[in-house]
Amino acid sequence: MGILEVKNLTHTYGGSSPFINDAVSNVSFSVEQGEIIGIIGHTGSGKSTLVQHLNGLLKPTDGMVLFCDEDIWANPKDIRKIRSKVGLVFQYPEYQLFEETVFADISFGPKNMGLCGEELEKTVTEICELVGVKPEYYEKSPFDLSGGEKRRVAIAGVMAMKPQVIIFDEPTAGLDPKGREDVMKIIKDYRIATGATVIIISHSMEDMALLADKILVMNKGEIYKFGSVYDVFSDVEGLRNIGLNVPIVTKVFLQLKELGVDIKTEIFTVENAIDEFKKLKEGNKNA
Amino acid sequence: MLKDITFGQYYDSKSVIHKLDPRVKIVLMILFIVFIFVSQNFFALIFSALSVFLVVLASKVPLKMYLKNMKAILPVLIFTAVINVFYGDGGKVLLSFWIIEINTQGIYKAVFMALRILLLIFISSALTYTTTPNDLTDAIESLLSPLRFVGLKSAVHTLAMMMTIALRFIPTLIEEAEKIMNAQKARGADLESGGLVDRVKALIPILIPLLISSVRRAYELAEAMECRCYNGGEGKTRMKQMKMKITDFYLSSVAVLMCAVVIVLNILF
Amino acid sequence: MDKIIEVKNVTYEYTEEETTHIAVKDLSLCIERGSFTVILGHNGSGKSTLAKLLNGLNKATFGDVFVDGINTKNEETEIEVKRKVGMVFQNPDNQLVASIVEEDVAFGPENLGLAPREIRVRVDEALKAVGMYEFKDSTPHRLSGGQKQRVAIAGIIAMEPECLVLDEPTAMLDPKGRAEIINTLLKLNREKGITVVLITHYMEEAEKADRVIVMNNGSIIDDGTPSEIFKNVEKLKTVGLDVPQTTELLYELSKNGFSVNTNKISVEDTALEIKRALEEF
Repeated sequence: MGILEVKNLTHTYGGSSPFINDAVSNVSFSVEQGEIIGIIGHTGSGKSTLVQHLNGLLKPTDGMVLFCDEDIWANPKDIRKIRSKVGLVFQYPEYQLFEETVFADISFGPKNMGLCGEELEKTVTEICELVGVKPEYYEKSPFDLSGGEKRRVAIAGVMAMKPQVIIFDEPTAGLDPKGREDVMKIIKDYRIATGATVIIISHSMEDMALLADKILVMNKGEIYKFGSVYDVFSDVEGLRNIGLNVPIVTKVFLQLKELGVDIKTEIFTVENAIDEFKKLKEGNKNA
Repeated sequence: MLKDITFGQYYDSKSVIHKLDPRVKIVLMILFIVFIFVSQNFFALIFSALSVFLVVLASKVPLKMYLKNMKAILPVLIFTAVINVFYGDGGKVLLSFWIIEINTQGIYKAVFMALRILLLIFISSALTYTTTPNDLTDAIESLLSPLRFVGLKSAVHTLAMMMTIALRFIPTLIEEAEKIMNAQKARGADLESGGLVDRVKALIPILIPLLISSVRRAYELAEAMECRCYNGGEGKTRMKQMKMKITDFYLSSVAVLMCAVVIVLNILF
Repeated sequence: MDKIIEVKNVTYEYTEEETTHIAVKDLSLCIERGSFTVILGHNGSGKSTLAKLLNGLNKATFGDVFVDGINTKNEETEIEVKRKVGMVFQNPDNQLVASIVEEDVAFGPENLGLAPREIRVRVDEALKAVGMYEFKDSTPHRLSGGQKQRVAIAGIIAMEPECLVLDEPTAMLDPKGRAEIINTLLKLNREKGITVVLITHYMEEAEKADRVIVMNNGSIIDDGTPSEIFKNVEKLKTVGLDVPQTTELLYELSKNGFSVNTNKISVEDTALEIKRALEEF
């Protein structure tokens, strides 16, 4: 039994909507406490629709979502409670900032959960420390911050609810390399501090290989594959057929093999690659 | 939800109506509205209804799309009908209570008004479904162009440009509003319960980000327009020239004829 | 050398809350006609400010910018400069004016006061050049990000510019959209001879450029061919830039005692380089 379980989830949108739909059909999977799950798939493959079910923003047309073995829609009136347990950070979350000060904005989530007074202050201060929002920023307007700083504050706004599961929809989209690195660090720090389960939607196979325990591959609203990084990225042909890629490092190894070098191709990170080449070098020396 | 709003959405089905000169369409729509309002009796109104229905059929836009627009205005429709029910004078009394009296005349009036509003929605939807927003603004600009003789040329152009941009950004802003709403809900915002004051308060976290992003969009759009050599419409030409075709004349004459029939029916009955 | 743009000792200052910031500092630069230049830099390095200086959207505080010999400060020729140097921005949504693709593309030529028939020809050609002709009657909000951005490019191409400046056009797109844009730009450069200046922080987009310029703190800190630039991984990292994973791999290998050059970017070149190094043992 995982912390989060999705059973036969199907979601279809109203037929004539002029907006781009990405429906989900008959999706089942289970996530264990403390895992880092990567979700990959094309734009329109149903990733965003899927994750909006996990915190009850969307109601399944069919099937159900279980959090700690309980159907999150068992009592529809309580659906708001699930949103603090399963946090969702949308794409470009900085566009949701609205308060006059950084501190007030980060307080919005926990306040909605009913926290107030000292407890609220303590919670928000803790999160600020964790994500690196310095005290001199507390009384600043969020709109005066740089792009990367805004993103950090917006993410803190969701983390401040201390969710046990936290979902990120392309958390590094539109940031420069430094900003991307910062966001990845915040996510890792939160997980270390709270032991939370993390689900990340990303287009970067390189990030996925570095970060994820397991990867969920979506294609046309269905699960193409759900397995370890090794399982998913070894299936080069399968991924290519649905228009996805393997990490660039893996591509280099595949190319080397094609050039006639006797080498294994299940290498997904630069670190692994270096180890592999070192081994090869040693082998050559001994021969 | 918000995504169901279809107002101002062009529906491409390449019908005869689509191909009409948009200026002709606007003038004809006004003509239709006039004869819907001058229809004094049921015969005239039913004839108007048939004419409108003919336009709807000819537009090749599914009836479903028209009904969707109706849904939005339904409360207004019911309200007008109910008000009219109580304002009948004469006819057979059906129900009477204290100072309120419902009579056949009232029912007749209510149905009549409801039908009128319905026809208005249908005919205006027919215009927006068959004419691209840009054609529509161009047509308005062209129809208003006589105003340049009284020194309002740039005002007319500015108005047209404003309409074009508004129409272009309505779907974008709706989508954005929905995204922000979901993001705040994910932070535990309660948008559904509470009294009126609470609900209005709950809108602040949505309206402020929406406003800020609109300002940012406006600023970026202005720069982009500048980069595309926009300078307030001075010396601007158009790719699509509006030209009256022979069908425009035919259909206009038919419409004028219909108008005449309505007047005749009004006099006869 | 035939120069389309010439930047001469330009400094750009702006004032915010009574403090003056310098976004671009005494910068000089020439863009050769028909070239494909990539400008790299992290956020706040001054690269966007520089982009807007190139078509007169920003006016230099000190120094001058010349487009085809015309000073961008000259008010009478402002429109002419903007036509010659077209600009595409990051957010495709905020650049499209009309609700129909072809009408949007026509916006620029209409502003130039061209004859209707001429506009029609240009719009069709521009849409074909970016591969969006079949969507000409579509409405922008039904298109993907990459498609919208290609429409935005078509809107500029239809004005028949000499040079195209793009300010992080791929930052908001998914990998598919990014590839679409880069391929479109390469095609426009190779087939139509349009000069391209691409501003980005995605290193891999610099791979096929003729020239790469690296900016930091409002100045140019490096300028050369892609392989010259990518040789110096350390330097790029110190200015907050990331190298492609291929270059990263070669860099790590060289640190671990393999004799490889780090200036390769494509998967093919990297594999060949590693193969060569492996064979040396």
